[in-house]
Amino acid sequence: MATCVKLKVNGKDLIATLQEFYRSVVASPMADQILAPMLPANGSMVMPTLTEDPDMLAAADPLAPSFPLNSAKMVCRLTRTDPGGEIAAVMRPCEIRAFVELVKLKQGSFDRLLIIGMDCLGAFRNRDYLKFVATNGKDSSRQFYSQALAAKPDADPSDQLAPACRFCDQPTAANADVVVALWGLDCEQEIMIYSQSDKGARLLEALNLETASLPDARERYLQSLTDKRKQLRQQMYADTTAATGGIDKLGAYFCACVNCYNCRVACPVCYCRECVFVTDAFDHEPSRYMAWARRKKAVKMPTDTIFYHLTRLAHMSLACVGCGQCSNACPNDIPLAEFFCTVAADTQKAFDYPAGSDPRAKPPLTEFREDEFSEIVGID
Amino acid sequence: MKTNSSKALVVGAGISGIRSALDLAESGHQVILIDRSLHMGGILSRLDYQFPTNHCGMCKMLPLVERDSGSQFCLRKGLFHDNIELRLGCELTSVSGKPGEFSVTLRQAPTQVDPDLCTGCGICSQVCPVEVPDDFNAGLATRKAIYLPLPHAVPNPYVIDPAACDHCGKCLQVCPTGAINLSDQQRGNFLILVVDDEPAVRDSLKEWLVDEGFAVDMAESGRQALEMLRDKDYGLMLTDIKMPGMDGVELLQRAKQVRPELTVVMMTAYATVETAVEAMKEGAFDYLMKPFDPARMIPMVVRIFEDRMAARDLEIGVGAIVLACGTDYFNPAESKNTLGYGICPHVITGIEFERLVSGTGPTAGRLVRPADGKPARKIAWLQCVGSRDLQTNTDYCSSVCCMYAVKEALLAGEKAGEDVETAIFYMDMRAFGLPFQRYLDEAAARPGMRFERTRVHSVTPHPESGSPVLTYMGTDGKLVDETFDLVVLSVGQRPARRTEQLAEMTGCKLNQWGFPATAPLDPVSTDRPGIFVSGSASGLKDISESVIFASAAAARAAVAMGGGDGSSETDDKETAYRDVSGRRPKIMAIVCTCGQRLSTDRDGPLVEKRLKTDPAVGEVVFVDRLCTAGGWQKAQEAAAAKDFNRILVGACHPYLFVKKIKALSAAIRLAPHLIDAVDLGLTGPDSSPPAPALPVARLQAGLARLKAAVVDRLPEVEVAATALVVGGGVAGMQAALTMAERGHRVTLVEKSDRLGGNLDWLQTTIDGQDLQDLCRTMVSEVESHPNIKTMTGSGIVGGYGQVGSFFTTIRGPDGEISTLEHGVAILATGGREATTTAYGYGSSDRIITQRRLEQALADTSIKPAGLETVVMIQCVDSRRKPRNYCSRVCCPTTIKHCLKIKQQNPETAVYVLYRDIMTPGFMETYFTAARRAGVIFIPYDPENRPEVEVADGEKGAESVKVNCTDPVSGLKLTIETDLLVLATGIVPRLPAELAATFGVDVDEHGFFRPADSKWRPVDALKEGVFACGICLGPRAAVESMATGQAAASRALRIISRRRISSGHPVAQVRYSLCALCERCIEACPYRARMLDTDRTKVVVNTAMCQGCGTCAAVCPNGASVINGYLRQQMFETIDALTQAFDEPLDLEAGKV
Repeated sequence: MATCVKLKVNGKDLIATLQEFYRSVVASPMADQILAPMLPANGSMVMPTLTEDPDMLAAADPLAPSFPLNSAKMVCRLTRTDPGGEIAAVMRPCEIRAFVELVKLKQGSFDRLLIIGMDCLGAFRNRDYLKFVATNGKDSSRQFYSQALAAKPDADPSDQLAPACRFCDQPTAANADVVVALWGLDCEQEIMIYSQSDKGARLLEALNLETASLPDARERYLQSLTDKRKQLRQQMYADTTAATGGIDKLGAYFCACVNCYNCRVACPVCYCRECVFVTDAFDHEPSRYMAWARRKKAVKMPTDTIFYHLTRLAHMSLACVGCGQCSNACPNDIPLAEFFCTVAADTQKAFDYPAGSDPRAKPPLTEFREDEFSEIVGID
Repeated sequence: MKTNSSKALVVGAGISGIRSALDLAESGHQVILIDRSLHMGGILSRLDYQFPTNHCGMCKMLPLVERDSGSQFCLRKGLFHDNIELRLGCELTSVSGKPGEFSVTLRQAPTQVDPDLCTGCGICSQVCPVEVPDDFNAGLATRKAIYLPLPHAVPNPYVIDPAACDHCGKCLQVCPTGAINLSDQQRGNFLILVVDDEPAVRDSLKEWLVDEGFAVDMAESGRQALEMLRDKDYGLMLTDIKMPGMDGVELLQRAKQVRPELTVVMMTAYATVETAVEAMKEGAFDYLMKPFDPARMIPMVVRIFEDRMAARDLEIGVGAIVLACGTDYFNPAESKNTLGYGICPHVITGIEFERLVSGTGPTAGRLVRPADGKPARKIAWLQCVGSRDLQTNTDYCSSVCCMYAVKEALLAGEKAGEDVETAIFYMDMRAFGLPFQRYLDEAAARPGMRFERTRVHSVTPHPESGSPVLTYMGTDGKLVDETFDLVVLSVGQRPARRTEQLAEMTGCKLNQWGFPATAPLDPVSTDRPGIFVSGSASGLKDISESVIFASAAAARAAVAMGGGDGSSETDDKETAYRDVSGRRPKIMAIVCTCGQRLSTDRDGPLVEKRLKTDPAVGEVVFVDRLCTAGGWQKAQEAAAAKDFNRILVGACHPYLFVKKIKALSAAIRLAPHLIDAVDLGLTGPDSSPPAPALPVARLQAGLARLKAAVVDRLPEVEVAATALVVGGGVAGMQAALTMAERGHRVTLVEKSDRLGGNLDWLQTTIDGQDLQDLCRTMVSEVESHPNIKTMTGSGIVGGYGQVGSFFTTIRGPDGEISTLEHGVAILATGGREATTTAYGYGSSDRIITQRRLEQALADTSIKPAGLETVVMIQCVDSRRKPRNYCSRVCCPTTIKHCLKIKQQNPETAVYVLYRDIMTPGFMETYFTAARRAGVIFIPYDPENRPEVEVADGEKGAESVKVNCTDPVSGLKLTIETDLLVLATGIVPRLPAELAATFGVDVDEHGFFRPADSKWRPVDALKEGVFACGICLGPRAAVESMATGQAAASRALRIISRRRISSGHPVAQVRYSLCALCERCIEACPYRARMLDTDRTKVVVNTAMCQGCGTCAAVCPNGASVINGYLRQQMFETIDALTQAFDEPLDLEAGKV
């Protein structure tokens, strides 16, 4: 089933090549419209944009180091119920993983969706990206991808990348219908596209492109890259664990939290319409604050800050895909992604549930197994 | 709660009595549930583990609809229900009248410890000097004369064993609540008159009686006695018969004129025994033989005294009586006892083993030999001790021992480690229930588990170690001596103690083994109308069967009591509660000071001040001893005086307040869930924080719950009072008839063009009952019943809905479609004989199935006279994968046919090749009869099955040979046979689409999967859907009838109501928060949630919701909530409880 085709890169312009590819997708019977990262007519932040107009795709900029939000939530908005047509969506690997989780939570659907993935070169934090564009102008994206593709796979990732991207060890697009391959290829000459599903294979067939096979160099490159990233990730786990062990250290870690809840708004898998922390469950009666002050000698306001983060972990760490949008959203630069990823690594291992990887695996909390965790529940 | 005017009496509060009582109570009947013992739960109160889960699970029997009517905690601890009056220590002493209007007399044993005052602190037991063997632990431990009848009951008052108590009075002095009232204080007020002309007799009697604390006067003649009787109020007169002047009989007659209520006991020498017996006709209570034996006389006097002290016998009217008196167990010491019970200390019974592995047992669950405390590493179970044993007159199988032995062997492995060696010595492994074979296979796979098919000859203590030595014949025919650490006798069942008296009193017949006899084709009815037998009382049932027969008895009792036209149903009696919705919480706290354990002066102000830091608390009232009637009276007065909208009660044992709170709620018209009780922990263990920190914390936790209590009226589900029954076989017809007789409209849908199901071809039962006749009778009853609409040639096309309101589409014989609304559904889709290709089936007309033989013997197309040899093979494709279950009916059917053939032609050689003969219960007697008739039974190994050769010959004259191995001699046998009959077993007929329509699970074999195979054997997990007959699992026709009645009983709980209100707590959805992820729907174990696709909303059927909270746990943001357990409530509760451990309240500083 897995077919692979090659796309010739004209004039070393990868962006134009991808734009042309997107146009051919919309022209094919497989998609009526496409959601792709595009530069708005005004402004410089690349945002996911839905279009069916081939001309509009001239603004598509999928290689910009811009990751303003995790588009999984946007794709949910487009697929929550039948959209009435076929949609193709260009998504980063972590966006696809988040979308897989959201589909399990009935927030979106694969039914009329074709996912176009790509080897992910990573992105900057929003404020860094805006600075980067301000400095480099129209050439920013080309500069970024040229450097990124030229780098050795086992080199330390660029400091400019967001932390979550630096220690990302899943930069390839699992569960995409088709994947645009860059790594291990001579991208100045050609890139390749391979399918991972029936739908993807049908698309490639419809596009009628020259078939190819992925070079062995790609496999070696990926191996080296993920080895490096895994090593960085382990280091990050160790550092974070050391920084957060015990309630006192947690207090220090989260001391700048102001309960703005931006992290939960930015989190792709926090799917609640309204977070429990903004419901009446936390409308404490005034007398309670006095009681706490009496009991604990002093009460910091707002209350429930660490409680909020721990609750979010309890609710969502099994679905955390490590995209780093929480850190991106924090106004006070709390290293949230590190904390979430560290805890999620443990919880997901405990349930043998790597979030976002298997669309058929049931979320652990919806399944009751009598015979698990006897060492924790004390029943055997 | 809806009530019916008719009341039922259930005798026996074991598992079947509880089931019958709850079924009746939930259907709106008043029930009096009595038990002779001082605790409920029967035998199961002593068993901690039941297979196949090796857990308990009794709580699954608790009411699932109208939950607020009853208690919702561990059923082994206790049971409350609005419609059930539970009387322990109570016996039935007489019955008169007829169905619908029985008059019964109940005798309540006197209580010497006031259960309302006893707090269960146990100080009395500590000071009691008397130690006697503890019945509860099967004599493996001792207890005091004042003791807890159950270690885990709630409430759990102490009781006094009058036979053991030596009246020292020590307990009386230490009881902190004055709960003990030793009757011997009153003995001094009980006047006994001793009349005898011999001074020596008078004096010795007086001495004995005075020693026992009684007041005794003496008279030397009848004349003197009469004068004394006129002067004083004597309770008892002991009179000699032969006296000069007025003799004893004349004195009796004249004394009765003076004091008609006087109890008179005649004293007689051997010569005048007949006169004494005559005197009893004149009104004497009993007689005593000279010379007197104090050991006989004193208990008689005490009994007379205690009967006098007891509340007078209670006479009540009831509409029906259900006998649920259970069974007792065989005592091996009473037989020839070659197995050394009571002789070798390391030989114990199965019950004793259960206590040994129980956490509340004598060793707290450590598996050691009870006699010397040494570890038991090698344990043997001996089966059929007091079962299947003609020498002890038990030509029946006790049905439960095989599985309990396997369970106990598994438990031994769990308790003592995997390397413990376990061996089960058996004759046939009777794994005849649906899940049994699987369990047995799992057990057999356990390392260290061994099954030995042999009967152990004797058990003797080892001359040196004293360990038991088993002597038995090994597989090679040689005698083996094998030493074990511990031997467990799997003792069989016997009729319950005093069943004979019960039978005599009720006028019900007993069967030949002494169990209450039931009608052959009406499995729960005695020969006395209106009296039914529930559960194992009718003999030899496991939990699942007991529960089925208990529900069946309840259904029959309901029919016997009711008008039969639904007119006995009365309207709901609703208390109109005050409307407090929308008001801010205003709470009164009523705090018990518990005999100044909480000092009113010192702690009171502090507690009040602390509680009042919460503005919701309006008033704090302190009352001493809320547990007493006086204390509670003060609390009620305080609550009634003010207009609070919440009441918090602080005391001990909140369970005790369930009924009181309901009464208070009705009195002050405040909904019961707005009144709560918390345990102040004042009687707790020493490690608790000192008063008053803990009580304050507990009270604040209670406040947290009450403040956010939901005040809205709870949602209700409307009920369509009609039923749908799918399948018109014997079970389906029985279910339909039962509900129809109770006055409900029933639609009976049958796929084929006529009713009857398998009764169509079945001829007789094993005990010779005519099933064709039964079929004709039932079909005509169903077809002529005005409440039953029969739709033959019809099928279910689809449907939806939930308890109370299902909508089902039915296609009629001509393709016409109709939709039926019904409140409940009963699936009775049956099953059929399995087909096979094994053993040459199909290759010769001489090879047939048991079904074919049944028909052929009836229509005489096969005549035994022409048969020289018949071979029958059992377990064809059964009891091994993929059909790894026993079909249960094949062995009895085979034996029935063997007997029929032998009866018609004793010369026919009949061979039965079998694995284990499954003739549970009284069917065993037919197995014995078959062996007596000369049928040869040859066991085969499942790995080495018989082989069949069909040699060529003319059609119908082929030669059929069966090869097998004789296990004793090891010789290969070849039997040339005229007829080979295969027992192919039963497969279910429950189409997957039909199951899906009603939200029912099927198991891997296609049988209906019950909510719980033991505790809810005919219920689907989805409330409102039930099953009966073979689709539940293989069973005989009469057993299927019982399941039909049981399913009807479960259905009546629902359709006898117009509405079902939800209980507390119940789940709700806050739609503004719901993201429709549907995790709650997947997680709900009761299927009470569904996505309403029209409104795009998750909806909760509040009658099905059990408030378990799983939905709230999976919902991240509180869109799914449990009333009574809102996050606000939980946060504040935890907060309050943890603060007790922060720091003790600073009393001196007075800062709170």
